[in-house]
Amino acid sequence: MWRRLGALIRKEFQQLLHDWPILFILMWAFSGAIYVAGHAVRIEVNNYPTVILDMSRSVQSRELVSLIRAPYFKIVDYASNDDEVVRFLDSGKASLAVVIPPDFERSVVTGSGQFQIISDGTISQTSIMATSYIAHIAGVYNLQLMTQRLGVTPQEMANIPQVDARIRVEYNPNVDNVWFISLLEMLNMITMVSMLLTAAAMVREKVYGTLEQLLVSPLRPMELFIAKIIPTVVIILLMSLVSLFVIVQGIFHTPIRGSLLLFYSVMAIYVFSVSSLGLLVAVFARNLAQAMMTLFLILMPMLFLSGAFTPPESMAPWMQYASLVSPMRYFMDFGYQVLFKGNGIAYVWHDILGIFALGSAMFALSVWGFRRQLG
Amino acid sequence: MLDRSLAIIRKETRELLRDPIYLGMAFVIPVVLMLLFGYGLSMDVKHLPIAFVDHERSPYSRDYIDSFVNSDYFDFIGLLDDPEQADHWMRSGRARVIIDIPPDFGRKLTSNKPTTIGVTVDGSFPTRAGVIIAYVTAINAQYNERLLSNFASQLGRSGQLRAPVQVNTSYWYNPTLESINMIVPGMMVLILMLFPAILGALVVVREKESGTIFNLYASPVYRWEIILGKAVPYITVAFLDYLIIFAMSIFLFQVRFTGSFWVLSSAALLYSICTIGIGLLFSIIMRTQLSAMLITFLATVTPAFNYSGFLSPVSSMDQLGQFIAHLIPATYFMEVVRGVYLKGLGLGFFWPNLLALTIYTLVVYSLAWSLLIKRIR
Repeated sequence: MWRRLGALIRKEFQQLLHDWPILFILMWAFSGAIYVAGHAVRIEVNNYPTVILDMSRSVQSRELVSLIRAPYFKIVDYASNDDEVVRFLDSGKASLAVVIPPDFERSVVTGSGQFQIISDGTISQTSIMATSYIAHIAGVYNLQLMTQRLGVTPQEMANIPQVDARIRVEYNPNVDNVWFISLLEMLNMITMVSMLLTAAAMVREKVYGTLEQLLVSPLRPMELFIAKIIPTVVIILLMSLVSLFVIVQGIFHTPIRGSLLLFYSVMAIYVFSVSSLGLLVAVFARNLAQAMMTLFLILMPMLFLSGAFTPPESMAPWMQYASLVSPMRYFMDFGYQVLFKGNGIAYVWHDILGIFALGSAMFALSVWGFRRQLG
Repeated sequence: MLDRSLAIIRKETRELLRDPIYLGMAFVIPVVLMLLFGYGLSMDVKHLPIAFVDHERSPYSRDYIDSFVNSDYFDFIGLLDDPEQADHWMRSGRARVIIDIPPDFGRKLTSNKPTTIGVTVDGSFPTRAGVIIAYVTAINAQYNERLLSNFASQLGRSGQLRAPVQVNTSYWYNPTLESINMIVPGMMVLILMLFPAILGALVVVREKESGTIFNLYASPVYRWEIILGKAVPYITVAFLDYLIIFAMSIFLFQVRFTGSFWVLSSAALLYSICTIGIGLLFSIIMRTQLSAMLITFLATVTPAFNYSGFLSPVSSMDQLGQFIAHLIPATYFMEVVRGVYLKGLGLGFFWPNLLALTIYTLVVYSLAWSLLIKRIR
């Protein structure tokens, strides 16, 4: 049995290694594509494009404007009238406008100062964050004014009952999104490639008619399946090493805290189980186009339910249940816990169990489907 | 002259209709994606599990804890005694934020002294961490305001501590701040990028794999007739997908729609022609279906998702980011879609975008045209 399997695996490897466009694309998927995705989010939370309309042009208004600054805000321009502000917001060149009325200076002195912010609510979450930063800035400005006015000395400040919340962000002290996205993109690629690559290898045999030859050989379906999956597992392991060390850790400085041995052994099981799912689809598809479309239909919800778009605890109940049958949910949790938090097996055993159980079920299902379709 | 193109169109259409599973998928997948993202993608981070390590256990510390428990954002999951257990909860993800209250919390506040609490936030999901920080800061600030006004009235100086400056906030374009108004039109842009491109990517390369491409090479048709004939049926499918997505956005998701359907539709048609063209281009370059498909996927999805302005405004990106953003058609279409849906802008505002899309389309098809010849010879 091992000799037969060995020969078949060798054939699969040869086929894969001769297909240099695919190898090139895979290289890109595991390096360039991750870099491109990571670069985008690097700047996402910062530099919120802001336009200022300062009709007061006073010391007070300038003081206020000086607080609106990088890294949160980027002042794209100073408008001179309302129409300009509207144009900036309409065209999307600015997403936030700060409008300071002409009587700002006088009203601040009397304690009834007001200024207006107009926020583009299209991207609601970001827009709420931006306005809450402005509210915070207004608070700081108020505190400055009040202490000036009351003539409070720093010593007296120490005698005011206040709670100082010292926030420490565990695992990612600067809340750098790129650490998250670069790993996410890698885990996505692992999932996508293991499914598509294996399915394509199987459909190709069907379309070219070479599957019949394999069927009349003394190979058993089980062996055929394992031989189709092994090259995918190996190539993904190698490629993901590149992305992990060169891109994720090398370029983006994402800390890898956990055991690589643990990560890679579970990843091998994961790739195996997702590949089985690819094979299952390939067994029933009539041509590659059909197989690819079906795989997309499966992949999209999987990526979506993985917990990367919406954290699992914020999902609607139906989504939480649906995500239980997606191996990716367990793999994402596992990947972040091990690589990023540095957790050991004591924290991730249930993820491993989930991947293993779903993987065996899918492998059994695809062997059954194969026998039914072609046996 | 158009006869030959028409013949190819007829042949492609028949091929599409003969594979009902494939054709069905072309309509089912966009619908499924819309349903998933429309109903499932929640940008509102709520129900964050919060735990407290209360070293004081006094009415003061309890009062402080209550200010968090009573908010919608946090789900109280427990009061812990030792920091080791807190570490365990943080590691396992059971708690996403843990607040540590010192043993002299109430004593300091009652003696009019500032005190410090420790807040530990799980940073493994940065967006969530950012939101947690914003919520904690806001709740803490409210608590401080209460402390301060109590303090001021003790001193009989409450009038002087009123904040001299107020902020008036108004939200334009999406006044209710519903994320569905952002997600559904955004998804239209992404789906019409990815999906037509994938459909187009298989068209030519499929014939290469099965060898029937030589029939086309040998037949007396011009290159542009082949491209036209191959593209038209798929552009029709893509445009039908657009109409379905549009109907879903209005009738199912009831997205705010303030602009003109005709402006949106003409931009969508142009965009579909463009994205089908991108697929065709890869289909002409690559030699296997799998490679054509993978490269199309990589070249369309990741850039469109990250750079089109879907999740963050293009103008907040750095120079390289803005450059990439303007290299992809999704950015131009995103501005039109959001502008029509939410901002109610007219054609006068969009002609630069439509012009950019037209130029883009022309470039893509000329490239496809010029690369097709190499294979014939």
